[in-house]
Order: sequence, then structure tokens, then C-alpha cells
Amino acid sequence: MPQNTNSLIGFNRKPLQISFRSLFYLFIGIILCSYSCHSNPYRQGHELYKVHCESCHMADGSGLGKLIPSLDSSGLFRSTPECLICLIRHGIVKNELTGQQMPGNEILNDVEMANLVNYLRQEYAGETKAVTTDEVKTCLATCKAEE
Amino acid sequence: MSRLKYSFILVVTITFLFQLVGCKNDNNALPFLGNREIVNGDTIQHTVPDYLLTDQDSQQVRITSYGNKVFLADFFFISCPSICPKVQKQMLRLYDRYKDDSRVMLFSHTIDQRHDSVTVLHRYAHNLGVDTGKWKFFTAEKDSIFALADDYFVSVVDDPSAPKGFDHSGKIILLDKNRHVRGFCEGTDPESVTAFFSTVDKLLATEYK
Repeated sequence: MPQNTNSLIGFNRKPLQISFRSLFYLFIGIILCSYSCHSNPYRQGHELYKVHCESCHMADGSGLGKLIPSLDSSGLFRSTPECLICLIRHGIVKNELTGQQMPGNEILNDVEMANLVNYLRQEYAGETKAVTTDEVKTCLATCKAEE
Repeated sequence: MSRLKYSFILVVTITFLFQLVGCKNDNNALPFLGNREIVNGDTIQHTVPDYLLTDQDSQQVRITSYGNKVFLADFFFISCPSICPKVQKQMLRLYDRYKDDSRVMLFSHTIDQRHDSVTVLHRYAHNLGVDTGKWKFFTAEKDSIFALADDYFVSVVDDPSAPKGFDHSGKIILLDKNRHVRGFCEGTDPESVTAFFSTVDKLLATEYK
């Protein structure tokens, strides 16, 4: 009866040795992976949000009571992106319930609009399918036609 | 050692201890902000005037009508596209912290009399979801509100180049029950407001000993 099973298959295995350095690199890898999995890739969109949206919608999108609804609870980001693009461009003249206005944004170009919309959809709806600048252009042309 | 030496050391030690205790008390007390006057030997601290204001329910009131309370106040306008929502969000944090403390009240004064009528203020308060017995939304003649802001040390000016024509600061002011300004924080900065909680608590502890 052989005592060592390694000798049966023809080689001697060393006991598994995991160095501290390997563990460290593994740890860093896991951290980087989890960061890249959860962070929003639309950095310009985030910067644009800070400049154009944050003063009312707050840094965390929590809004202000019923006056400025929380972005987390908004179904808008899960619907087609066209509604969101038109809303950002033209705003809300007056909310019938609260009397609040949302100013439209005329200064974002198509690339910035796409980045902002993609950031919002990713952040608040986990929507990973990106909107392209061509789609933004087409959508804004339709919005204008509806006015 | 002679008796004189002992006496001297004793006097110095006692004086030092009194100084120490005195300094400690000064550090703990909240300052009175603003200019003070000496009238007939008495020190008169800066006091916010007791103007007649109209609240969101069309009630005409004065600060003194609320009795011995501590007040948290800011100046805003509803259509403000810049700092006001952030400041009101921080006022909401203060409201949540002190909503069950009957010693504290909150005041928001509109600086846009043209658009923020009593009806509009009433709807705003309702949609903010707050108890208007605790948090009042005031309007008054423009000159009165601007003068009042001045007495609260809050900068409010007409500025055609500013968003919607007003330039104003987002400070939240703490008044004691005698309408003296005892502290403030930057309403746009959540960390400043978090630190402000302890300022309010300190005033409550000293005002209601």
C-alpha cells in the first residue's frame, strides 16, 4: 500500500505555498475588479451632472421632498432615452402639482448630452446600453418638431 | 519658609486657578455676533428686529409671538436655480433633528415677493412635507425682508447678472430666545451643518439650564 499518492502519478508535489506578495496582488486585483464593476464609466457625464444638475437634484440625486423628486425613484431612466433627452433640453415649464419649474439646458452639445444621459441611466437604472450622439441628434430634432 | 512666602504662593495659585476656570467658561460660551453698545453702563448686544411678517397661512406674526425659543433662519426664493435647494435640504436636516424639540423653530424668508406669494409659499411648504407649526415660511415688504437679512448678517442684493436677479448667501443663522445672533453655518455645505448641530445643542443647553 503506497503511502504517498503523489508517487503513484509519477511526481512529487510540493505543498501549496502562498506568499504574502501573492495574496497582496490578489487583494489589489479584487479591489480593482470590484471598483471597475460598480463605478460609473461616464466620467464626463458625472462632471456635467455636477455642473448642471447637482444644485437642485443634490450630489446623491435625493432631491428635495416632493418639490424635486429623487432620481432613484424616477422611472424615466428606465424608459426610452428620448424622454430624458427632451426633458433635459427643454425642462419643465411648471409642474402642475408642485408649481416647480425645471429649467431646460440649451448649452449642452450632442456629445455632452449623450454622456450626461448615459451617466444618469447607468447610475439610476443600471442601464448599460449607451445612447450615441447620432441618437441624441435625431431625438433633439424630433423634440423641436413637437414644439 | 516664612508665612509671607506661603501666603504669596497661595495667592498666586488661587489666582491661577480662577483664571483657568474663567478661560474655560469663556471657551464654552457661544459668542454674541454683531456690534454691541454700552448704554448707561449696560452692554446691549446686537438684536434682530421684531418685524411684522406674513407666514404661509397668511397669519401676521412677530418673532416674539413664538415665545422663548431658539430660531434657525435662512433666506431663499422658490424659483432659485442656484444654491437654495441645497440650503433648504440642509434646513430639512435641521428640521428632522429638532422636529420633536419644542424649544426650536425654523424660519425661511423669501426674498422674491413678486413670485413667492402666500399661496405659493403654502404649496411649497406642503410639498416639502414639513409641519408648518414648526417651520415657518415668511414674506413681507421687500425693503423689510432685505433689512431683516442685513440684521441676520445674510447678504441679499438685487443683481440683474445673477440667476433670476438675486444674489444672496446661503448661511443658516442661529438666534437665541432674545433674538441675538449666536452662530451660523454654510447651508450649502453638509459638513458645516453637521458641525452646526453641536452649536445649536450648546445654545439649547445654556439657554434652558
